[in-house]
Amino acid sequence: MDHREPGAVVAEGLRFGYPGREVLRGVDLRIGAGELVALVGLNGCGKSTFLRLAAGLLRPDAGRVLLDGEEVARLSRRGAARRVALLHQSAPPVPGLTVRQLVRQGRYAARGPLGMLRDGDDAVSARALADAGVADWAGRPVDALSGGERQRVRLAMALAQDTRILLLDEPTTYLDLRHQLEVLQTVVRLRAERGLTVVMVVHDLNHAARFADRIVALRDGRVAADGKPAAIVTPALLAEVLGVEGRVAPDERGGWPVCYPDHPLGVASHLRNENHIH
Amino acid sequence: MSAARTAAPVLRRGRTGTRVKAAVLVVLALAAGVAGLVAGPAVTTADVAEVFAGGGDPLARHIVLNLRLPRALVALTAGACLALAGLVLQSALRNPLAGPEVTGVTPGAVLGAVTATGLGLAGWQSPTAVVVAACLGGCAGAGLLWLLAGRERGDPEQTAVHGVLVSAVLTGATAVVLLIAPGELGSVVQWLVGSTEGRVWRHWELLWPWALCWGAAAWLLAGPLTLLRCGDEQAAALGLDIGRARAAALACAVALTAGAVSAVGALGFVGLLVPHVALAVFGADLRATLPGAALLGAVVVGGADAGAQLLSRALAQALDADRLTVPVGALTTCAGAALLLIVARRRADLR
Repeated sequence: MDHREPGAVVAEGLRFGYPGREVLRGVDLRIGAGELVALVGLNGCGKSTFLRLAAGLLRPDAGRVLLDGEEVARLSRRGAARRVALLHQSAPPVPGLTVRQLVRQGRYAARGPLGMLRDGDDAVSARALADAGVADWAGRPVDALSGGERQRVRLAMALAQDTRILLLDEPTTYLDLRHQLEVLQTVVRLRAERGLTVVMVVHDLNHAARFADRIVALRDGRVAADGKPAAIVTPALLAEVLGVEGRVAPDERGGWPVCYPDHPLGVASHLRNENHIH
Repeated sequence: MSAARTAAPVLRRGRTGTRVKAAVLVVLALAAGVAGLVAGPAVTTADVAEVFAGGGDPLARHIVLNLRLPRALVALTAGACLALAGLVLQSALRNPLAGPEVTGVTPGAVLGAVTATGLGLAGWQSPTAVVVAACLGGCAGAGLLWLLAGRERGDPEQTAVHGVLVSAVLTGATAVVLLIAPGELGSVVQWLVGSTEGRVWRHWELLWPWALCWGAAAWLLAGPLTLLRCGDEQAAALGLDIGRARAAALACAVALTAGAVSAVGALGFVGLLVPHVALAVFGADLRATLPGAALLGAVVVGGADAGAQLLSRALAQALDADRLTVPVGALTTCAGAALLLIVARRRADLR
């Protein structure tokens, strides 16, 4: 794997902490161009922090992240946003902005502060609207959309940055099942069409196993497991990384591993609700 | 909703709509200015028309050209500055309650000007010194808020609370200064409320280049301000240096407020409420809404100036007083408070 190729994300000895709490304790990760990687792990294990470091929004205490071979911490804010787009888990509502206006904000890094004053029909924004499937709503106010629709609009905004690397922080949280699948399938399709490198934090291991090429599991700020879903999604992974006891079986039709989490580890057996286990 | 399906025509209609609204506001601003020229006592509308036709007796010419015209122009420009400053602040702090008067800028500017007057460094004879003192005071007020808010700067509610605190402290300090060095108390008090009385060409000459320069700066910040409205994390991920953008926006707002306050005093509620009306009328695209807010502010303060003059005339007649002036600030504060009540009620209903 060439780590200088456009779209590669490389973390070397990455450490980061807040006062009194170390979040990442040395993460080494090489993600090739065009890979779709799912980051999994318990709350607070450092998944979101990793994405922020990779986007250059936080400065590592030690180690570095390379995007296309360049250290992200040395890039200007705008330079970083031209290489990598990060979709946050949630964003405050902006009263009155229409879908088109919000998606256009994705062009900020490419056009610069004064570029925002030009209107013009930006082909990149139009493509982002179409790719995320939100072009029909372009004139509607974002406040009027449902949570799932809003998430797709924000995905369109990230796409409008037109970067090779897309980081998604829990893109499916707060969405109902139908919208979860919609968003994930959109991501898979875009990865195929645009050759994007995608790193996404997901909580549902079944989604990770089904949609990602590769799963990276974090525990206590370190990489605990890293590999193809079929190879690493095992009862041992469930126990060690996610802290649950459960079973894994291949999907009848697709063959990807499917987990059946039974109960949290360390809970006394008389508290377990055995009725749910057959 | 179904009309919104076809997005392109909707957008185009939006743009023409913006032009029409802007044109209406320009007409209204002109009307407010003209009303300000004819509303005062002693000179009739016919006299004013005659003066502008090149005629009229010397006294009427003096009143219209040297007293009323600069006054109306200063009122319009100051209104535009206050509204722009309010919109910039509300966007940069992502706080709908941020206005020049609750962010320490206005009370700071008032304190600066009052202190300078009290110390004898500036007076109504030297508008330049007042402008400089007010600007320094405004910056100090904003700086104080910036320091006090500390880590919670991005938090809209915390900023509002600290802003109210800073404003209270600065207002108290102003009262202390006034007690120690009363100076020309009458003119100072009128100024605390906000007044357009006795504004001359010198004020206008100082105000318009300042307003033009900082107004243009505000408009150039439309892109970063829109991003700041989207939240810090989002804005940073999209490539905005949020610290620098916010500092630039605050500098701009402080300068605009200080300019307006040093010209007409602390006009209440204009900077707080006009931005809300502007956002409702022009939408969230700040490239259109910033100039729209400036026009609206001009209409409001220009109109209030005319209204205050009419009211003064009516009251003087009714009370048989020789000379009675209602300051513009009294009018904007009363109207603003009423409007704020209505808005608060409506928002409560929506919830």
